[in-house]
Amino acid sequence: MNYLAELLASGLAVGAVYGLIAMSFAIIYKSTGLLNFAQGEMGMIIAYVAWSISTSVDGNPFIVALGSIGFAVLFALAVERIVIRPMMSEPILSQIMVTIGLSVIFRSAIILIWDGLPHNMAIASGNQLVDLGGVRVRAAQIAVLVALFAAIAGMWAFFRYSRFGVAMRAVASDDATAQLMGVSSGKVQMAAWAAAAVLSGVAGVLFAIAYELSPSLYALGLKAFPATILGGLDAVIGSAVGGLIIGVTENLVGGYISSGLKEVAGFVIIILILMVRPYGLFGEKRIERL
Amino acid sequence: MRSGYYKETIVEHINLTDSTLQRAWIGIGLLLVIAAPFHFEFYGLSLITLMMITAIGAMGLNVLTGWTGLISLGQTAFMVLGAYAYAISTESWGWPPLLGFVLAGIVPAIASVIVGVPSLRLTGLYLAITTLASAFIVNHLVLEFDGLTNGSSGIFVNRPVIFGYAFDTDAKFYYLTAGFGILTILACLNLRRSRIGRALIAIRDNDNAARVMGIDLRAYKLYAFVASSFIVGISGALYGIFLSFVTVDGFPFLLAIEALAILIVGGMGSIAGAILGAVFLVGLPEVTSFVFSWMGSSAQSLLSTSAHEIKGLLYGLIIILFLRLQPHGLMGLWQDARRTWTLWPLKY
Repeated sequence: MNYLAELLASGLAVGAVYGLIAMSFAIIYKSTGLLNFAQGEMGMIIAYVAWSISTSVDGNPFIVALGSIGFAVLFALAVERIVIRPMMSEPILSQIMVTIGLSVIFRSAIILIWDGLPHNMAIASGNQLVDLGGVRVRAAQIAVLVALFAAIAGMWAFFRYSRFGVAMRAVASDDATAQLMGVSSGKVQMAAWAAAAVLSGVAGVLFAIAYELSPSLYALGLKAFPATILGGLDAVIGSAVGGLIIGVTENLVGGYISSGLKEVAGFVIIILILMVRPYGLFGEKRIERL
Repeated sequence: MRSGYYKETIVEHINLTDSTLQRAWIGIGLLLVIAAPFHFEFYGLSLITLMMITAIGAMGLNVLTGWTGLISLGQTAFMVLGAYAYAISTESWGWPPLLGFVLAGIVPAIASVIVGVPSLRLTGLYLAITTLASAFIVNHLVLEFDGLTNGSSGIFVNRPVIFGYAFDTDAKFYYLTAGFGILTILACLNLRRSRIGRALIAIRDNDNAARVMGIDLRAYKLYAFVASSFIVGISGALYGIFLSFVTVDGFPFLLAIEALAILIVGGMGSIAGAILGAVFLVGLPEVTSFVFSWMGSSAQSLLSTSAHEIKGLLYGLIIILFLRLQPHGLMGLWQDARRTWTLWPLKY
């Protein structure tokens, strides 16, 4: 029983990380129709920047949070403006390949700028153990769950009530009409990239605190694909739920079946989902198909 | 002044070439391929061999991505399967290498049907994701069936002996690879001008229109998957022999990106483009190391410590710059140059 509870707890924590990154995928896909293969790498770069800030200010959590969020926004806006914006009218293969090219560059740049070794990231009391009725978890693992729920609530309110959120939904449902109504799709795209970078940055930093900071952090992006496919590529909140489901499934498979299968469980789920229900659990039924 | 070449019959149109000049160039090219081992030593020769193996793989991917317009991020899976099919059949079971090569084509082809059938309904982005997922699953399966594949420790592969003739030196293996390369070029050229090739292009250009013309999308997309992974599997087997060692780690995910980068650099959908792109991307690290060594010792030590990262950085930059500035690749550049040459001083 305790074993199961531990698996569930760590599954929910890692699932929340996947969920945050999956939300970033979905936000960008929803507002621009582009899947950013470099999202995990962006989260990783933000985590490294946060680590650099934290070592120079002795881990003051407020400065680290402000600095890394500021960096995330600027970084995403720069990437969007310089690399992505000129490619938006190109065919889908070019768009995919540009983001893949970015991901390869980021992955190499991390090792060239920082190094290839794992680091311990200590901010506030993030890696202290907390006892929850017999199950011991790290504070950062709780924090990432809290962050996920905050992000879900924030996104829901944003899309529902804010003027900008409504504009984003309008661009998502019909680009041309939204532009005729006076919505600037360029601004919507900038906002989507910034929001996605902040979410995946939060995921990267909290993952680094709970486990470790290493150049293999980008794999979180790959692991978040199943989550966003399961939830629906255009369903922001659905993707978050998908993340939790994938995280728990992975841990249960790893705990009860085999640890090798744990690594690919998500990818098996992708193929099953795409065969049965390609638009995901919560997505809209308008996928390209023949 | 001549305004262009005109072809009046179907036969003229599907002939591989009708110009004596082109035949002469092909002859010169063949002579150069035959003469290469007499000029180049170990390192240069192994580099050219690697270029040829890469070009074979790129031509395979070109059938799927360049002609049919189906994006695959999972080519490494078929390379891995081809390499293992060859290694297991020849090294563990002692089958003749020729049969091993056939198996290296057939096993990935069967696997591609398994990957292809569920992916048939998907296009674009979704296909890219399923093929990516299947690449990871194949790697996992190879590691899991360690009784057959030796798990993560891999299998040693000897140079093949075909009909009593041992391809044991670098030069002989080079000729074997060149033979496979020429066969692949011929196969691709002939596939391209057959009914199947035209159908694949039609699917890429407009799938609904192709369907109205009576092209069975499912069947032809499966043809593309099978033909592509057959060729990619052969290149995987050759790569395994080249490394003389087959492991999952020998086929990193970067290889699938490299293959797509080759098509982008060379020019989508062109066989000559795939070959040019392969030469360009395989030669790129060599050029870089030359430039770095010219820049001084500190740059050289950076290159020796982080060669893999610099390679990745270059691939990424090349992909983005080509897509941004020259989306038709090197073949597009060549065509522009040729047009300017014929039409000068007029613009068009």
